[in-house]
Amino acid sequence: MARHGPEAATIEVELCGKLAELHGRLLALSVPGEGCTAGIVLARAAEAVDGLAPMVAEGRVRVCINEVVVSDGAAVGPGDRVALFPPVSGG
Amino acid sequence: MSAQVDLVHRAFDPAELLEAFHRGADDVGAVVSFTGFARGKAREGAPVAALVLESYRGVTLRSMEAIAAEALDRFDIASCRVVHRDGTILPGEAIVFVATAARHRRAAFEAADYLMDRLKTEAVFWKREEGPGGGRWIEPTDADRADAGRWA
Repeated sequence: MARHGPEAATIEVELCGKLAELHGRLLALSVPGEGCTAGIVLARAAEAVDGLAPMVAEGRVRVCINEVVVSDGAAVGPGDRVALFPPVSGG
Repeated sequence: MSAQVDLVHRAFDPAELLEAFHRGADDVGAVVSFTGFARGKAREGAPVAALVLESYRGVTLRSMEAIAAEALDRFDIASCRVVHRDGTILPGEAIVFVATAARHRRAAFEAADYLMDRLKTEAVFWKREEGPGGGRWIEPTDADRADAGRWA
């Protein structure tokens, strides 16, 4: 029997801009150990952080993996640098 | 054609940047520059102690490089320069410097205008005003979006 189930992975997600005010800068998130995607990260984060779900539902939060903003289907693996972006302010 | 883009963490002198840009621009008839400064008052008049610009690693710089590259593609300019601060910016300090060089003035004016309109809406920054009442996050205004929309 495997010691780690499919839900074993925990990733660290950086919350950028005003998202950090909801929770703090870093969010430890439990995600599927295999087959995790940006969409799953977003959905799990919306469940874990009070106040985030409405912004996610409106499509206002983007996922950034290893310094690239990605679509929901993008794979997320162990060691990836994951961040959530609220709408940018511009310069 | 060249674009040089920097994200800097300390105060910069726009006059020095303009001088250096002008020195490096050969065979151009026009140089246009723009500097944006942090204001001491918010839109509704409340005092602002500082503007805080949060960036994200390489993403912020690349977002600005992409805008500069598009300006080079789109306008008949020889070169452009973009310098942007992040971190805590005090009222009166420069936030952004843009300069363009071209053979003729129209392209230089338009490219600088274009650079600023797109930087103001698309560059990857999260910005808040810090005042006596705490912090307030700023997003592009409808006017900013309308300005950027002129180039679509």
